[in-house]
Amino acid sequence: MNDKETLYQQRLNRYITAMDCGKPDMVPVAFGIGEWVVKYKGTTFQEIFYDLDKSNSIVSEMLPGLDFDIFKGGPCLWWPPMFDAMGSKLYKFPGIGVDENSTFQYNEEEYMKPDDYDEFTASPTEWLVNHFLPNISTELANPGSYRSTIALIKGAAAFAMSGSITAAAYEKWTKEHGIVGQGTGFTKAPFDTLGDALRGMKGILLDLRRRPEKVLAACEAITPHNVNCGLAGAGADTRFPCFAPLHRGAYPFLNPRQWETFYWPSLKATIEGLWAKGKRMLFYAEGDWTPYLEKIAELPERSIIFQIDTTDARKAKEVLGGRFCLQGGVPTTLLTYGTPEKIREQVKRSIDELGRDGGFILDSGGVIMGDAKQENLITMIEAAREFGVY
Amino acid sequence: MSDQEKALINPKPGVCVPWELKLEELGDFPGNEEIVKKEWEKLDDFAYNFIWFWVQR
Repeated sequence: MNDKETLYQQRLNRYITAMDCGKPDMVPVAFGIGEWVVKYKGTTFQEIFYDLDKSNSIVSEMLPGLDFDIFKGGPCLWWPPMFDAMGSKLYKFPGIGVDENSTFQYNEEEYMKPDDYDEFTASPTEWLVNHFLPNISTELANPGSYRSTIALIKGAAAFAMSGSITAAAYEKWTKEHGIVGQGTGFTKAPFDTLGDALRGMKGILLDLRRRPEKVLAACEAITPHNVNCGLAGAGADTRFPCFAPLHRGAYPFLNPRQWETFYWPSLKATIEGLWAKGKRMLFYAEGDWTPYLEKIAELPERSIIFQIDTTDARKAKEVLGGRFCLQGGVPTTLLTYGTPEKIREQVKRSIDELGRDGGFILDSGGVIMGDAKQENLITMIEAAREFGVY
Repeated sequence: MSDQEKALINPKPGVCVPWELKLEELGDFPGNEEIVKKEWEKLDDFAYNFIWFWVQR
Protein backbone atom coordinates (compact mmCIF):
# COMPACT_ATOMS: atom_id res chain seq x y z
CA MET A 1 0.00 0.00 0.00
CA ASN A 2 1.51 3.36 -1.01
CA ASP A 3 1.31 6.60 1.01
CA LYS A 4 -1.83 7.82 -0.73
CA GLU A 5 -3.63 4.50 -0.27
CA THR A 6 -2.73 4.57 3.44
CA LEU A 7 -4.00 8.14 3.69
CA TYR A 8 -7.21 7.13 1.94
CA GLN A 9 -7.75 4.25 4.38
CA GLN A 10 -7.14 6.51 7.39
CA ARG A 11 -9.62 9.06 6.13
CA LEU A 12 -12.16 6.41 5.16
CA ASN A 13 -11.96 4.81 8.62
CA ARG A 14 -12.37 8.22 10.23
CA TYR A 15 -15.45 8.92 8.11
CA ILE A 16 -17.10 5.53 8.58
CA THR A 17 -16.45 5.52 12.34
CA ALA A 18 -18.05 8.96 12.69
CA MET A 19 -21.04 7.96 10.52
CA ASP A 20 -21.59 5.02 12.87
CA CYS A 21 -21.53 7.45 15.82
CA GLY A 22 -18.13 6.22 16.98
CA LYS A 23 -15.05 8.16 18.02
CA PRO A 24 -12.26 7.99 15.41
CA ASP A 25 -8.65 9.14 15.96
CA MET A 26 -9.73 12.69 15.14
CA VAL A 27 -12.82 14.61 14.05
CA PRO A 28 -13.22 14.10 10.30
CA VAL A 29 -13.36 17.26 8.23
CA ALA A 30 -15.61 17.69 5.18
CA PHE A 31 -14.69 20.29 2.60
CA GLY A 32 -15.66 21.43 -0.87
CA ILE A 33 -13.73 23.51 -3.37
CA GLY A 34 -16.79 25.49 -4.33
CA GLU A 35 -17.60 28.70 -6.11
CA TRP A 36 -15.48 30.64 -3.61
CA VAL A 37 -12.37 29.48 -5.47
CA VAL A 38 -13.26 31.36 -8.68
CA LYS A 39 -12.16 34.82 -7.53
CA TYR A 40 -8.74 33.48 -6.46
CA LYS A 41 -7.97 31.85 -9.81
CA GLY A 42 -8.20 34.70 -12.31
CA THR A 43 -11.10 33.08 -14.14
CA THR A 44 -14.86 33.59 -14.41
CA PHE A 45 -17.90 31.68 -13.15
CA GLN A 46 -18.81 31.10 -16.77
CA GLU A 47 -15.51 29.43 -17.59
CA ILE A 48 -15.65 27.26 -14.47
CA PHE A 49 -19.21 26.15 -15.16
CA TYR A 50 -18.74 25.46 -18.84
CA ASP A 51 -15.25 23.98 -18.95
CA LEU A 52 -15.22 20.86 -16.79
CA ASP A 53 -11.54 20.19 -17.51
CA LYS A 54 -10.63 23.66 -16.29
CA SER A 55 -12.81 23.27 -13.21
CA ASN A 56 -11.28 19.87 -12.39
CA SER A 57 -7.74 21.14 -12.97
CA ILE A 58 -8.33 23.87 -10.37
CA VAL A 59 -9.41 21.21 -7.88
CA SER A 60 -6.29 19.16 -8.69
CA GLU A 61 -4.16 22.25 -8.15
CA MET A 62 -5.76 23.04 -4.76
CA LEU A 63 -5.90 19.57 -3.19
CA PRO A 64 -2.22 19.10 -2.25
CA GLY A 65 -2.32 22.15 0.06
CA LEU A 66 -5.49 21.15 1.92
CA ASP A 67 -5.67 18.58 4.71
CA PHE A 68 -9.24 17.36 5.05
CA ASP A 69 -10.92 13.95 4.93
CA ILE A 70 -14.19 14.08 3.03
CA PHE A 71 -14.48 15.78 -0.33
CA LYS A 72 -17.79 17.46 -1.09
CA GLY A 73 -17.06 18.35 -4.70
CA GLY A 74 -15.75 20.97 -7.08
CA PRO A 75 -17.01 24.41 -8.02
CA CYS A 76 -19.67 23.68 -10.63
CA LEU A 77 -22.87 22.09 -9.45
CA TRP A 78 -24.32 21.74 -12.94
CA TRP A 79 -22.81 21.47 -16.42
CA PRO A 80 -24.68 24.13 -18.48
CA PRO A 81 -23.93 22.65 -21.94
CA MET A 82 -26.32 19.82 -21.13
CA PHE A 83 -29.04 22.33 -20.26
CA ASP A 84 -28.27 24.36 -23.39
CA ALA A 85 -28.59 21.24 -25.55
CA MET A 86 -32.12 20.71 -24.26
CA GLY A 87 -33.05 24.40 -24.30
CA SER A 88 -33.72 24.08 -20.59
CA LYS A 89 -35.76 26.82 -18.93
CA LEU A 90 -34.79 25.71 -15.44
CA TYR A 91 -31.73 27.88 -14.87
CA LYS A 92 -29.94 31.03 -15.90
CA PHE A 93 -26.26 30.22 -15.98
CA PRO A 94 -23.23 32.52 -15.76
CA GLY A 95 -22.61 34.23 -19.08
CA ILE A 96 -25.93 33.05 -20.57
CA GLY A 97 -28.82 34.67 -18.75
CA VAL A 98 -26.82 36.26 -15.94
CA ASP A 99 -23.45 38.00 -15.77
CA GLU A 100 -20.36 35.85 -16.43
CA ASN A 101 -19.35 36.37 -12.80
CA SER A 102 -22.71 35.59 -11.20
CA THR A 103 -23.72 32.22 -9.93
CA PHE A 104 -26.71 30.43 -11.48
CA GLN A 105 -30.34 31.35 -10.86
CA TYR A 106 -33.28 28.95 -10.78
CA ASN A 107 -36.35 29.98 -12.80
CA GLU A 108 -39.18 28.74 -10.66
CA GLU A 109 -42.45 28.15 -12.54
CA GLU A 110 -45.45 25.83 -12.34
CA TYR A 111 -43.98 23.34 -14.82
CA MET A 112 -46.74 20.96 -13.71
CA LYS A 113 -50.30 22.37 -13.61
CA PRO A 114 -52.98 21.46 -11.05
CA ASP A 115 -54.83 19.40 -13.69
CA ASP A 116 -51.74 17.24 -14.22
CA TYR A 117 -51.79 15.68 -10.75
CA ASP A 118 -53.80 12.57 -11.61
CA GLU A 119 -51.79 11.60 -14.67
CA PHE A 120 -48.51 12.29 -12.89
CA THR A 121 -49.53 10.20 -9.89
CA ALA A 122 -50.76 7.35 -12.12
CA SER A 123 -47.37 7.03 -13.84
CA PRO A 124 -44.69 9.52 -12.78
CA THR A 125 -41.92 8.51 -15.19
CA GLU A 126 -44.22 8.59 -18.22
CA TRP A 127 -45.62 11.97 -17.23
CA LEU A 128 -42.11 13.37 -16.90
CA VAL A 129 -41.22 12.18 -20.40
CA ASN A 130 -44.50 13.12 -22.08
CA HIS A 131 -45.10 16.48 -20.39
CA PHE A 132 -42.41 17.71 -18.01
CA LEU A 133 -39.42 17.46 -20.36
CA PRO A 134 -41.25 19.31 -23.19
CA ASN A 135 -42.51 21.88 -20.64
CA ILE A 136 -39.03 22.71 -19.38
CA SER A 137 -37.12 22.41 -22.67
CA THR A 138 -37.58 24.78 -25.61
CA GLU A 139 -35.83 22.30 -27.91
CA LEU A 140 -38.48 19.66 -27.09
CA ALA A 141 -41.42 21.93 -27.84
CA ASN A 142 -42.38 19.76 -30.84
CA PRO A 143 -41.83 16.14 -29.78
CA GLY A 144 -40.78 13.96 -32.70
CA SER A 145 -39.39 16.89 -34.68
CA TYR A 146 -35.81 17.06 -35.94
CA ARG A 147 -34.80 19.61 -33.28
CA SER A 148 -36.43 17.60 -30.51
CA THR A 149 -34.76 14.31 -31.48
CA ILE A 150 -31.36 15.98 -31.81
CA ALA A 151 -31.80 17.67 -28.42
CA LEU A 152 -32.54 14.34 -26.72
CA ILE A 153 -29.51 12.71 -28.34
CA LYS A 154 -27.29 15.59 -27.24
CA GLY A 155 -28.80 15.82 -23.77
CA ALA A 156 -28.35 12.11 -23.03
CA ALA A 157 -24.84 12.18 -24.47
CA ALA A 158 -23.99 15.17 -22.25
CA PHE A 159 -25.41 13.35 -19.22
CA ALA A 160 -23.14 10.37 -19.91
CA MET A 161 -20.13 12.58 -20.71
CA SER A 162 -20.37 14.70 -17.58
CA GLY A 163 -20.84 11.57 -15.43
CA SER A 164 -17.83 9.93 -16.96
CA ILE A 165 -15.60 13.03 -16.66
CA THR A 166 -16.59 13.49 -13.02
CA ALA A 167 -16.02 9.80 -12.19
CA ALA A 168 -12.56 9.93 -13.80
CA ALA A 169 -11.70 13.08 -11.85
CA TYR A 170 -12.73 11.48 -8.54
CA GLU A 171 -10.67 8.40 -9.34
CA LYS A 172 -7.62 10.59 -10.02
CA TRP A 173 -8.10 12.63 -6.81
CA THR A 174 -8.52 9.47 -4.77
CA LYS A 175 -5.34 7.92 -6.20
CA GLU A 176 -3.20 11.05 -6.17
CA HIS A 177 -4.44 12.79 -3.02
CA GLY A 178 -6.12 10.08 -0.94
CA ILE A 179 -9.42 11.93 -0.73
CA VAL A 180 -12.71 10.23 0.14
CA GLY A 181 -15.88 11.38 -1.63
CA GLN A 182 -18.76 12.37 0.64
CA GLY A 183 -21.45 10.32 -1.02
CA THR A 184 -23.01 8.42 -3.88
CA GLY A 185 -26.54 8.92 -5.12
CA PHE A 186 -28.79 11.97 -5.04
CA THR A 187 -32.32 12.22 -3.84
CA LYS A 188 -34.82 14.57 -2.22
CA ALA A 189 -37.83 14.63 0.03
CA PRO A 190 -40.83 13.71 -2.18
CA PHE A 191 -42.54 16.95 -1.14
CA ASP A 192 -39.48 18.86 -2.40
CA THR A 193 -39.47 16.97 -5.70
CA LEU A 194 -43.06 18.11 -6.09
CA GLY A 195 -42.64 21.58 -4.63
CA ASP A 196 -39.27 22.60 -6.10
CA ALA A 197 -39.32 21.51 -9.72
CA LEU A 198 -42.91 20.57 -10.54
CA ARG A 199 -45.39 22.88 -8.79
CA GLY A 200 -43.09 25.63 -7.47
CA MET A 201 -43.47 27.38 -4.15
CA LYS A 202 -46.68 29.26 -4.97
CA GLY A 203 -48.27 26.21 -6.56
CA ILE A 204 -47.49 23.78 -3.77
CA LEU A 205 -48.63 26.17 -1.04
CA LEU A 206 -51.97 26.70 -2.80
CA ASP A 207 -52.29 22.95 -3.28
CA LEU A 208 -52.05 22.38 0.47
CA ARG A 209 -55.35 24.28 0.76
CA ARG A 210 -57.09 23.42 -2.48
CA ARG A 211 -56.14 19.83 -3.24
CA PRO A 212 -54.37 18.34 -0.20
CA GLU A 213 -55.31 14.75 -1.09
CA LYS A 214 -53.62 15.11 -4.48
CA VAL A 215 -50.42 16.39 -2.84
CA LEU A 216 -50.36 13.37 -0.54
CA ALA A 217 -51.04 10.94 -3.40
CA ALA A 218 -48.29 12.50 -5.52
CA CYS A 219 -45.78 12.33 -2.65
CA GLU A 220 -46.67 8.67 -2.16
CA ALA A 221 -46.13 8.00 -5.88
CA ILE A 222 -42.76 9.79 -5.84
CA THR A 223 -41.43 7.97 -2.76
CA PRO A 224 -40.27 4.68 -4.39
CA HIS A 225 -38.59 6.69 -7.16
CA ASN A 226 -36.73 8.79 -4.61
CA VAL A 227 -35.56 5.64 -2.86
CA ASN A 228 -34.27 4.41 -6.20
CA CYS A 229 -32.54 7.74 -7.00
CA GLY A 230 -30.78 7.67 -3.63
CA LEU A 231 -29.58 4.13 -4.17
CA ALA A 232 -28.00 5.16 -7.48
CA GLY A 233 -28.86 1.83 -9.08
CA ALA A 234 -29.22 -1.74 -7.91
CA GLY A 235 -26.08 -3.19 -6.35
CA ALA A 236 -24.42 0.22 -6.09
CA ASP A 237 -22.31 1.42 -3.17
CA THR A 238 -23.86 1.48 0.30
CA ARG A 239 -20.80 2.56 2.29
CA PHE A 240 -21.41 6.22 1.56
CA PRO A 241 -24.60 8.22 2.08
CA CYS A 242 -26.73 9.66 -0.69
CA PHE A 243 -27.00 13.42 -0.75
CA ALA A 244 -30.45 14.87 -0.09
CA PRO A 245 -30.74 18.67 -0.09
CA LEU A 246 -33.90 19.38 1.91
CA HIS A 247 -35.75 22.61 1.24
CA ARG A 248 -39.42 23.21 2.10
CA GLY A 249 -39.15 21.21 5.31
CA ALA A 250 -37.15 23.99 6.97
CA TYR A 251 -39.08 26.00 9.55
CA PRO A 252 -41.18 28.09 8.89
CA PHE A 253 -41.96 27.33 5.22
CA LEU A 254 -44.67 25.01 6.56
CA ASN A 255 -46.38 25.18 9.92
CA PRO A 256 -45.82 22.14 12.20
CA ARG A 257 -49.19 20.57 11.34
CA GLN A 258 -48.53 20.88 7.61
CA TRP A 259 -45.00 19.55 8.10
CA GLU A 260 -46.25 16.47 9.93
CA THR A 261 -49.02 15.87 7.41
CA PHE A 262 -47.41 16.67 4.07
CA TYR A 263 -43.63 16.77 4.39
CA TRP A 264 -42.55 14.22 6.91
CA PRO A 265 -44.39 10.95 6.12
CA SER A 266 -42.99 10.53 2.60
CA LEU A 267 -39.50 11.74 3.57
CA LYS A 268 -39.50 9.26 6.47
CA ALA A 269 -40.66 6.50 4.11
CA THR A 270 -37.86 7.42 1.69
CA ILE A 271 -35.24 7.24 4.45
CA GLU A 272 -36.64 3.95 5.75
CA GLY A 273 -36.70 2.54 2.20
CA LEU A 274 -33.08 3.49 1.69
CA TRP A 275 -32.04 2.15 5.09
CA ALA A 276 -33.75 -1.17 4.37
CA LYS A 277 -31.26 -1.47 1.50
CA GLY A 278 -28.35 -0.43 3.76
CA LYS A 279 -28.12 3.10 2.35
CA ARG A 280 -27.77 6.12 4.60
CA MET A 281 -28.91 9.64 3.74
CA LEU A 282 -26.95 12.85 4.22
CA PHE A 283 -29.97 14.71 5.59
CA TYR A 284 -28.88 18.11 4.31
CA ALA A 285 -31.21 20.16 6.48
CA GLU A 286 -30.82 23.58 4.91
CA GLY A 287 -32.17 26.32 7.17
CA ASP A 288 -33.68 25.74 10.61
CA TRP A 289 -35.12 22.34 11.57
CA THR A 290 -35.12 22.83 15.35
CA PRO A 291 -38.90 22.34 15.83
CA TYR A 292 -38.74 18.95 14.13
CA LEU A 293 -35.78 17.34 15.89
CA GLU A 294 -37.93 15.05 18.06
CA LYS A 295 -39.69 13.64 14.98
CA ILE A 296 -36.39 13.16 13.17
CA ALA A 297 -35.09 11.25 16.22
CA GLU A 298 -37.73 8.59 15.49
CA LEU A 299 -35.84 7.47 12.37
CA PRO A 300 -33.89 4.21 12.50
CA GLU A 301 -30.66 4.74 14.39
CA ARG A 302 -27.72 5.78 12.15
CA SER A 303 -29.92 5.96 9.04
CA ILE A 304 -28.96 9.59 8.44
CA ILE A 305 -26.15 12.07 8.88
CA PHE A 306 -27.86 15.22 10.12
CA GLN A 307 -26.47 18.43 8.62
CA ILE A 308 -26.67 21.40 10.98
CA ASP A 309 -27.18 24.63 9.06
CA THR A 310 -29.14 27.15 11.16
CA THR A 311 -30.74 24.47 13.35
CA ASP A 312 -29.96 25.02 17.05
CA ALA A 313 -26.73 23.00 17.31
CA ARG A 314 -26.95 22.33 21.05
CA LYS A 315 -30.51 21.11 20.73
CA ALA A 316 -29.52 18.92 17.78
CA LYS A 317 -26.76 17.37 19.87
CA GLU A 318 -29.14 16.84 22.79
CA VAL A 319 -31.91 15.24 20.72
CA LEU A 320 -30.04 13.49 17.91
CA GLY A 321 -26.54 12.96 19.32
CA GLY A 322 -25.57 9.34 19.82
CA ARG A 323 -28.34 8.15 17.48
CA PHE A 324 -27.11 9.93 14.33
CA CYS A 325 -23.85 11.43 13.17
CA LEU A 326 -23.98 15.24 13.12
CA GLN A 327 -22.24 17.31 10.45
CA GLY A 328 -21.58 21.06 10.39
CA GLY A 329 -20.43 23.46 13.08
CA VAL A 330 -19.23 26.49 11.12
CA PRO A 331 -21.99 28.87 9.96
CA THR A 332 -21.73 29.70 6.29
CA THR A 333 -22.17 33.42 6.98
CA LEU A 334 -19.13 33.35 9.27
CA LEU A 335 -17.00 32.06 6.40
CA THR A 336 -17.98 35.16 4.41
CA TYR A 337 -18.19 37.88 7.06
CA GLY A 338 -15.98 36.51 9.85
CA THR A 339 -12.24 36.61 10.47
CA PRO A 340 -9.73 33.76 10.89
CA GLU A 341 -9.75 34.40 14.67
CA LYS A 342 -13.54 34.06 14.84
CA ILE A 343 -13.43 30.91 12.71
CA ARG A 344 -10.83 29.37 15.01
CA GLU A 345 -12.98 30.10 18.07
CA GLN A 346 -16.05 28.66 16.33
CA VAL A 347 -14.28 25.46 15.29
CA LYS A 348 -13.01 24.89 18.84
CA ARG A 349 -16.47 25.56 20.30
CA SER A 350 -18.20 23.24 17.83
CA ILE A 351 -15.76 20.41 18.39
CA ASP A 352 -16.10 20.81 22.18
CA GLU A 353 -19.90 20.92 22.07
CA LEU A 354 -20.79 18.63 19.17
CA GLY A 355 -17.82 16.33 18.77
CA ARG A 356 -16.81 15.41 22.30
CA ASP A 357 -18.34 11.92 22.14
CA GLY A 358 -17.61 11.19 18.47
CA GLY A 359 -20.30 10.91 15.82
CA PHE A 360 -19.40 14.32 14.43
CA ILE A 361 -18.02 15.63 11.12
CA LEU A 362 -16.79 19.21 11.03
CA ASP A 363 -18.12 21.11 8.02
CA SER A 364 -19.59 24.42 6.96
CA GLY A 365 -23.25 24.66 7.94
CA GLY A 366 -24.52 24.94 4.39
CA VAL A 367 -23.25 25.44 0.87
CA ILE A 368 -20.20 27.74 0.89
CA MET A 369 -21.04 30.68 -1.31
CA GLY A 370 -18.86 32.47 -3.86
CA ASP A 371 -18.14 35.37 -1.50
CA ALA A 372 -16.55 33.22 1.25
CA LYS A 373 -12.98 34.19 2.12
CA GLN A 374 -10.22 31.71 1.37
CA GLU A 375 -8.33 32.61 4.57
CA ASN A 376 -11.40 31.69 6.61
CA LEU A 377 -11.79 28.37 4.82
CA ILE A 378 -8.15 27.45 5.28
CA THR A 379 -8.38 28.41 8.96
CA MET A 380 -11.46 26.19 9.32
CA ILE A 381 -9.63 23.04 8.26
CA GLU A 382 -6.40 23.92 10.07
CA ALA A 383 -8.25 24.62 13.32
CA ALA A 384 -10.17 21.37 12.94
CA ARG A 385 -6.88 19.48 12.86
CA GLU A 386 -5.55 21.46 15.84
CA PHE A 387 -8.58 20.97 18.09
CA GLY A 388 -10.05 17.79 16.62
CA VAL A 389 -7.68 15.11 17.95
CA TYR A 390 -9.40 12.75 20.39
CA MET B 1 -59.67 6.34 -14.38
CA SER B 2 -59.57 7.97 -17.83
CA ASP B 3 -58.71 6.04 -21.02
CA GLN B 4 -55.45 7.97 -21.14
CA GLU B 5 -54.53 6.82 -17.64
CA LYS B 6 -55.49 3.20 -18.48
CA ALA B 7 -53.00 3.26 -21.34
CA LEU B 8 -50.13 4.14 -19.01
CA ILE B 9 -47.68 1.40 -18.12
CA ASN B 10 -46.42 3.05 -14.91
CA PRO B 11 -42.92 1.59 -15.05
CA LYS B 12 -41.31 0.75 -11.73
CA PRO B 13 -38.44 2.82 -10.32
CA GLY B 14 -35.31 2.33 -12.43
CA VAL B 15 -37.36 1.25 -15.47
CA CYS B 16 -38.61 3.10 -18.56
CA VAL B 17 -39.70 0.28 -20.86
CA PRO B 18 -40.01 -3.00 -18.95
CA TRP B 19 -38.13 -5.94 -20.45
CA GLU B 20 -41.27 -8.05 -20.23
CA LEU B 21 -43.04 -5.63 -22.57
CA LYS B 22 -40.13 -5.70 -25.01
CA LEU B 23 -39.97 -9.48 -24.87
CA GLU B 24 -43.62 -9.75 -25.87
CA GLU B 25 -42.93 -7.54 -28.88
CA LEU B 26 -39.88 -9.59 -29.88
CA GLY B 27 -41.90 -12.83 -29.99
CA ASP B 28 -39.80 -16.00 -30.50
CA PHE B 29 -36.41 -15.71 -28.87
CA PRO B 30 -33.89 -18.15 -30.29
CA GLY B 31 -30.87 -16.95 -28.29
CA ASN B 32 -29.96 -16.42 -24.66
CA GLU B 33 -32.59 -14.09 -23.27
CA GLU B 34 -30.60 -13.20 -20.15
CA ILE B 35 -27.73 -11.66 -22.14
CA VAL B 36 -30.09 -9.35 -23.99
CA LYS B 37 -32.20 -8.59 -20.91
CA LYS B 38 -29.18 -7.60 -18.81
CA GLU B 39 -27.95 -5.01 -21.31
CA TRP B 40 -31.49 -3.77 -22.06
CA GLU B 41 -32.02 -3.09 -18.37
CA LYS B 42 -28.68 -1.30 -17.99
CA LEU B 43 -29.54 1.16 -20.74
CA ASP B 44 -33.09 1.46 -19.48
CA ASP B 45 -31.73 2.41 -16.06
CA PHE B 46 -29.49 5.03 -17.68
CA ALA B 47 -32.51 6.55 -19.45
CA TYR B 48 -34.48 6.50 -16.21
CA ASN B 49 -31.71 8.38 -14.39
CA PHE B 50 -31.53 10.92 -17.20
CA ILE B 51 -35.27 11.57 -16.97
CA TRP B 52 -35.35 11.89 -13.17
CA PHE B 53 -32.23 14.06 -13.19
CA TRP B 54 -34.33 16.91 -14.53
CA VAL B 55 -36.89 16.79 -11.75
CA GLN B 56 -34.56 16.23 -8.80
CA ARG B 57 -33.30 19.81 -8.83
